[in-house]
Amino acid sequence: MGNPLLAFWKTIFSTDDDRRIRRATFRVAAHSAAQASATIFLILRRMRVPLIVLIVIFSVSVLGLTVIPGQDLDGDPVRMGFFDAFYIMSYTATTIGFGEIPYPFTYNQRMWVTISIYLSVIGWAYAIGSLLALLQDRAFRSALALQHFSRKVSRLREPFLLIAGYGRTGELLGHSFDALGKRFVVLDRDHERIDGLELDSYHADVPGLTADARDPGHLAVAGLGHTCCEAVLALTDDEEANLAIVMAAALLRPELPVIARVTSRTIAERMQAFGNPSTVDPFDRFGDHLRLALRAPASYQLLTWLESGPGAALPERGSPPRDGRWIVCGYGRLGRELTIDLRAEGLDVTVIESGSPDVDDADLLVGDGSDPWVLAQADLDRAVGLVAGTDNDTTNLSLVAAARRSNPELFLAARQNRAASAPLFAAMDVDALLVPTEVIAHEVYAQLSTPLLWRFLREMPAMGDDWAAQIVDRLKGLCGARLQALWKVRLTPRDAPTTATWLASGEASLGQLLRNPENREEPLHAIVLLVMRDRDVTLAPDDDFLLRPGDELLVAGWGAARRALDTILLVPGILEYLVTGYRVPSSWLWRKLRPAHQPLRRPPDAVLDRPA
Amino acid sequence: MRFVRFEARKCRRRAKISDRRRREVHVNLEKVVFGFFVLLAATLNFGFFIGDIDDPALHNPYELFAAVVVNLIATVLKFGDRTQIGAVHLATSLVADLQLIGAALLFGYATYVSSVGMNESWTASVVSLSGGALLANIVSVVLLVVETVSFHRG
Repeated sequence: MGNPLLAFWKTIFSTDDDRRIRRATFRVAAHSAAQASATIFLILRRMRVPLIVLIVIFSVSVLGLTVIPGQDLDGDPVRMGFFDAFYIMSYTATTIGFGEIPYPFTYNQRMWVTISIYLSVIGWAYAIGSLLALLQDRAFRSALALQHFSRKVSRLREPFLLIAGYGRTGELLGHSFDALGKRFVVLDRDHERIDGLELDSYHADVPGLTADARDPGHLAVAGLGHTCCEAVLALTDDEEANLAIVMAAALLRPELPVIARVTSRTIAERMQAFGNPSTVDPFDRFGDHLRLALRAPASYQLLTWLESGPGAALPERGSPPRDGRWIVCGYGRLGRELTIDLRAEGLDVTVIESGSPDVDDADLLVGDGSDPWVLAQADLDRAVGLVAGTDNDTTNLSLVAAARRSNPELFLAARQNRAASAPLFAAMDVDALLVPTEVIAHEVYAQLSTPLLWRFLREMPAMGDDWAAQIVDRLKGLCGARLQALWKVRLTPRDAPTTATWLASGEASLGQLLRNPENREEPLHAIVLLVMRDRDVTLAPDDDFLLRPGDELLVAGWGAARRALDTILLVPGILEYLVTGYRVPSSWLWRKLRPAHQPLRRPPDAVLDRPA
Repeated sequence: MRFVRFEARKCRRRAKISDRRRREVHVNLEKVVFGFFVLLAATLNFGFFIGDIDDPALHNPYELFAAVVVNLIATVLKFGDRTQIGAVHLATSLVADLQLIGAALLFGYATYVSSVGMNESWTASVVSLSGGALLANIVSVVLLVVETVSFHRG
């Protein structure tokens, strides 16, 4: 709160509850900041001895020079003043050495100066050495980094996201949000990840802090209490830490949306006890995706394309086998989810697992899946699909290779655990690849980039596979093989000032709006994917769809189309041309010279009758 | 209400800690050194200040030098104290340093640069500046005494 008046206003008129929360976040942030200043006080304390040694050495040397008698040029005794002595000691101690002034020294003086030279050099070396050692001190540097970071965060004046845990997922998300022009703040325990932020070449400045996100103080410093904080993302690879972040966010800022990465059901349930955070479980999502891919390949294709963000290439439409027997290798969290999902689709599943898991009523083979003998037991020739879902990339790769050799027709799904193995899996060319970090990143992106996209993706599977195939074809015809921009348009008086009369006429159809502002015969290169009106949505409306004031549209298309649409909605007169074909002069003189045009409500043919 | 109770609890806790400290540790060397320098700074300053304000013979430059040096050491000793009283200590010391260094600079200017030398008016300026520093040093001593007394009460 930079403005004291604003702070005063807030104190008086905010509700009591609101104030309590603000105070709570402020207190935890203050605690964390106090820790940082404590370190600086400690550093000052440690500088006491070197500084006092330096002062004492200096003063003793200066005093000595003023007390020891010297001689002037005539041989008369003379005493050096304080200023001369201080001057001589200053240049002697700093090893500059201008010589003997104001008169050449006597032997007595020279002996004293010799002693003071050695003393002062030792004093300087000690003081500067300790200062440099303190600057290198880890605690001091991290305290400085904390102060620098909290200053940067508190100066943020635009909406930002708080990303706790900057692993591979955080990096992918960071780049997507950066491309959208959204700011974010990063917390991670690993200082190499935070140092890596500088090398990641983001457009915007990304404040990052090496700190444990489980500490609410660090979250508060990272902007949990900041008014511009939009959402908190708990993306660390530690379930407990994610739970702690969800708790802190829910207790200190209950109104903030929280998205947490989670892989175990227990933790997910425990998170639900705090507000209503949305949890993303990569294995569960992969299972859902695989089910969708089995049932509706085109819907799955559209989903993955839109989730990947701008610039993503159109994924191939796979055709997983709909009936037959599947083999799931590895019965961990992924294996369990997939077995349940595949069974729900009415498919037979054989599980291969080396431990002794509690598989109920399943076809279970105990043994190491990468062992050729065990794999031969699984009767690969009569299976239709195989999932290599262990948490070891080498095992997964060898499973895929062995399965392909014995049955080239198999549908192969594999799990990639480490980012470093990506080229190997790409060369292997498996049919479905699960990369948990990417699944999470796409999911979070879909939830946060625009709420309309998230709504679209949730409603879309219900429309059926043929409908999805049609949409994919339309998008492909429009954008080519790479996804272009996705954006939101609000038909409100504030965001679209030129449309008020047109929308109120009740005859405003979508087809009239999506036209090229230069030539109304040409359509605009954009598709409206969804229209939301008072929480109700219409997916992919056609050109006859009638718009009303307050509608929100999700539009996909080229960047040029986005600019053109902005022009239509903001510049007066252009919409008029699109609807009636009448070009409204933009300058005052031409408007006076040309006859007054018809209001929008008149049918277009009446306008065309008039001589222009 | 809650705040008051919290304060009361804090006081009780502090009392307990100081009780323990009194029983276990009798002399804290750091406190002795600190008190020594604060007091020495004040006494040296007073020694320089005392005497007719415009008589250079009554104000020894060596005493001024000693006062400056001891004041600087006292300032450094006050670095890094996080308490409220520590902050005020540091502030008074900085004020005394400022005034004493000002006095020393005036003294140097009068002796080396000014054509008239250390005459009555220059002496008066130097001594009056050191008088200001003396006031700050007295505040320091008062603070020291207050701190000591409150510590012994618990």
